[in-house]
Parts: sequence; C-alpha cells; structure tokens
Amino acid sequence: MKVETPLLVPVLAALPVCACMAILGLPAFTHQHGAAFRSLYFLACLAWLMPLALLQRAMWRREWPWLRMALVLLSATYAMSLLNAVLGQRLAISLGLETDYRWAELVEGLDGCWLALIAFCAVHAVAGYYLSLQRMRLHLAQAQAAARDAELRALRLQVNPHFLFNSLNAISALVAAQSNREANRMLACVSDFLRATLAHDGRHEHALAEELALLDAYLEIEKARLGERLRLTMKAGPDVLDAVVPYLMLQPLVENAIRHGIAPLAAPGRLDIRVERQDARLLVEVHNDGLQPAHVGSGIGLANVRERLRHLYGDDQQVEAGWGEDGRFGVRIAMPLRAVEAAA
Amino acid sequence: MTIRVVIIDDEPLARLAVKTRLAQRGGFTLVGEFGDGDSAFDGIAALRPELVFVDVEMPGRTGLEVLAALPAAQRPMAILLTAYDGFALQAFDLAAIDYLLKPVDDERMDEALDRAQQAFPYRGQGRTTAPAVPAVQTFSVRVGARTVLVPVAEVERIEADGDYATLHANGKTWLVRERLHTLALQLDPRQFHRVHRSSIVRLDMIAELRALTNRDALLRLRDGSVLRASRTYMPALAEALQQFNKKSA
Repeated sequence: MKVETPLLVPVLAALPVCACMAILGLPAFTHQHGAAFRSLYFLACLAWLMPLALLQRAMWRREWPWLRMALVLLSATYAMSLLNAVLGQRLAISLGLETDYRWAELVEGLDGCWLALIAFCAVHAVAGYYLSLQRMRLHLAQAQAAARDAELRALRLQVNPHFLFNSLNAISALVAAQSNREANRMLACVSDFLRATLAHDGRHEHALAEELALLDAYLEIEKARLGERLRLTMKAGPDVLDAVVPYLMLQPLVENAIRHGIAPLAAPGRLDIRVERQDARLLVEVHNDGLQPAHVGSGIGLANVRERLRHLYGDDQQVEAGWGEDGRFGVRIAMPLRAVEAAA
Repeated sequence: MTIRVVIIDDEPLARLAVKTRLAQRGGFTLVGEFGDGDSAFDGIAALRPELVFVDVEMPGRTGLEVLAALPAAQRPMAILLTAYDGFALQAFDLAAIDYLLKPVDDERMDEALDRAQQAFPYRGQGRTTAPAVPAVQTFSVRVGARTVLVPVAEVERIEADGDYATLHANGKTWLVRERLHTLALQLDPRQFHRVHRSSIVRLDMIAELRALTNRDALLRLRDGSVLRASRTYMPALAEALQQFNKKSA
C-alpha cells in the first residue's frame, strides 16, 4: 500500500470499536465496582489505539507482507491486553478487593480488550486499503486520460500542416503560371479553411455540421485544384447534423480519396460522401473512383482516423476500408450516434 | 457616370488589392486613400465619395466607428473589409452594402462591386432594393453541338466552377459558360439566394439550416446535399427566408 491514507482514517476506524465497547460495558454499571473496571479498560484500550495505528501505518509504508503484519499486530495487541490486565489488578488492589497481584490469573479474561484491539486493526486495515485503492484508481484514470489527450492531439496535428503546405504549393504554381484569378480564388479558399480551423476550440469532438462545413471548405480548395476532374456529392440524411463526430475525421479520408484515388486518374473521378443514421448508429461513407494499386496499403490518413476513433469510442466503432466489387475504393465508419449538448 | 470611391485600410498592400480590382472594372473612380480612422473621417467629409471600402480593424478609430460617426445623410455606401472576426451584424446595422473577408477573391469582389452599382441609383432611399432587372425564365446550356433549355424553375442550386457555373436541376448537372455572379443578376432574388462565394440555392430547397460556431451556417437541401452558407450572406439569407416563408404561408 504505497499511497498514504489521511490520519482521519484511524480515528474513524476507532469510532465503531469504541461504540461497541461502550455499549457492551453498559450493564456493568449496575455492579458496585463494574463501572470503575470498565472505564479503566475502555480508557486503556483508547490509549493503545494511537500507537497501534502508527505501528500499522509504519508497516504499510514499508510494504510488509500481510502475514507478517498480522502476526506482529496480534502479538502487539496481546501484549497491550496483558498490560491492561495488570492495570486491572492494580485497580483491584487499590480498591482493597485484592491484596496482591495474582500473576497466574493474568491471562484469564483477556478476550474483551484483545478482541477490541484486533477489531480496530481490522477496520483500520480495510478502510485504509479501500481508500488507497480508490486513489490509485483515480490516478490511473487521470494518467490514462492525459496520455489519450496527448496522443489525440498529436494525431490531429498530423492532418493540418501537410494539407497547408500542399495548398501553398499549388498557389505558388498558379502564381508562377500567372493564373492570377485562380491563385486568388485558392488563397480565399485556404483562408476560409484556416478560419474554420482557427475557430475550433481544441475539443476532440464537434457537431457533424461543423465537420461537414470544414470538409466543404477543404473540398473547395481541391475543386479549385482539380476543376472538372473532381465530380463530387456530399449528402447527409435527416437529423444527423447535430451528431457528435471526432474533429477532422472526414478531411484525411477525403484527402486520401483525392490524392490516391482521383488525382492519378486521367478521366474525371467521382467522390461520394454520405452520412446517415441507422438506429442508434451514425454511418459515414466515403467512396471514390481510382485505380486499384498493385500493393495494398491504406495510408497514414486512414490509420490516423482508425486510431482516433479507437481512442474515443473503444470497441463501439467499426472502420472498414477496401476496394468494392464496383471497382471503387470505399471507407465505411459506424460509430455511436450522440447529439451535441444544446448549450454548445 | 462613375462612382467615386475612397479606400480606407492601414495596410498599403491591402489598399493596393482593392485599387487593382477597381482599375480592372469600369465605372469606378478612386478619389482618395487613407491609412487610419481619423484622417479617413476628415477625408470622407471633404471628398464626399459615394462608395468607401473600409477596413474594420485600424489604429485609432475602427472602420465601424468612422461610419457610425458620420451623419446618416453623409454616409457613403460602404463595403467592409476584415481579416478575422464577426462584425456582420453591426455592418448591416450601418447599412453597409457588403462585407468581405480578406483575402478577397475576384468573384467575391465583383459581386460587391455589382451590388454597389445596383444600389447606386437608389442611394439615400435606405436599404438597397432589388434592381428592376427582369428575371430570366430559362437558361440555355450548350451540350456538345446541342443547346438545351433548362427552365429556371427546375434549377435547385448553382455552383461556381472556375469561370463557369454548374446548374443542378432534377438530379442532373449542366455546365453553363457564365460566371456565378452574372447568373445571380438574372435570377429572382425572392426565389434564389447567394449563400456562399461559390453557391446559389433555391430557397424552397433548404430543408435544414444549422448555425455554426464561426457564424457560418450549414444548409441541408431536400435532396440531402449539404453546403456552407458564409456569414457574410447570413443576415440577407435570414431575411430572404423570412420573406419567403411569409409568402408561402
């Protein structure tokens, strides 16, 4: 048990034990000297609780094995009970009930004190163990959340610069070719996309409407680049615009579809983006024309999206990607359908 | 008769961008340039231009403050320029005729200048009213050697495609050899509305309009297509939709 438990724990652990002793002691008050003896034992036990608690905590800190701790505590409490019994005999002598210590009877009737002290140790151990377990769990969860956050951030950052420099390069080419109008149009589109990403507040998820708007801003750049060669449809079913999706989930998929699918084609290529609900699931599909490559590889973009979905939704999501029988490449994502909070 | 223009922007290159575009079009004469709000205020009072391009963020007085400080009767038509912000609503309160996000592409600049020219004869009569250009009933589209007539009533939306435009009608697309802003001038503004630099939609096609955090909006049309509505068009679009709903109710 490495985690320190607060000092309040032994105090709270002592309460039920003391309460039991007090209640069990009540009938003794009708006897002549009963009250005096009970009070003595009670106070003596109470006095032992503090050193006992410290001993127990010291052993926890050293991380002793349970068996050794139990043996040490049993012998310590036994010794304490013996001392209590000696005190009891001393009281009897001073009250004139006895004339001298009777050592042979010392070990009789120890059970009251010993059991009480053992009970305290047990309650203390259980409470301390439970508390430290809770704390360890919390720390673990915090550490995992921090790691997940950092990883998501890194995955997200892979998306942006890559795309930005490609666009700047395209603009540079337009300027070199003195296509001023096109260069200007591209600049306006890139600015739109940057404005949209800058408006983002750093959350890992946002509404599908925001995601589609971002994608539209991105696609406008690709349309300017490819012109006629990109045939595009982007459709959404009813009642999905408020659904929560990972930030920049679609853009890397679409970028892949264009870069590896449509851009290398000689003829115009179709890109179809479709989002709809199916019961409690959100289905996102991206299909594009393309030439089936000799080697099979899904690219960084898809791996990135897979990772982020896994981080955010665990096993409650599926990503399927591959070439369909119609000769088109398709990515299909199924994920839980959840609406953004109305306050957002 | 040309429109006399003043450009107000603290960045010389930004003024150059506007100047160059003005020079490429007839009908506008540049009469002055100012680099800050205070000298612009004095300059407008002295030169009495009919149109001003105003940068919103400037040292000293902002563009909006300059406009607000002028008496309404003296206030020229204004086209606001801004890099990154959300001044659209304030801009429309000051009856600015347009509001442009920098960098401005030619398409968007042309549209702003069209608006200025349309509004010019009606100046001083409050908000810009629709010009009396008769709306066309059909578009003629050339497909190879054929010419196809597409009735305007069937057009669901129009998308800019470089220097051409694509008509979407009944699930088909037609390429028209005209730029989006010239098509926009031929359409009935009560039925069609510009929602973005690159798109015009028929108002009754809009199935869902969802506001976005950056003040743009996303439209979902009845056929499931989604497209962006830029914040610079939102106030006008909201008004048009309201008018449209009143009419159809």
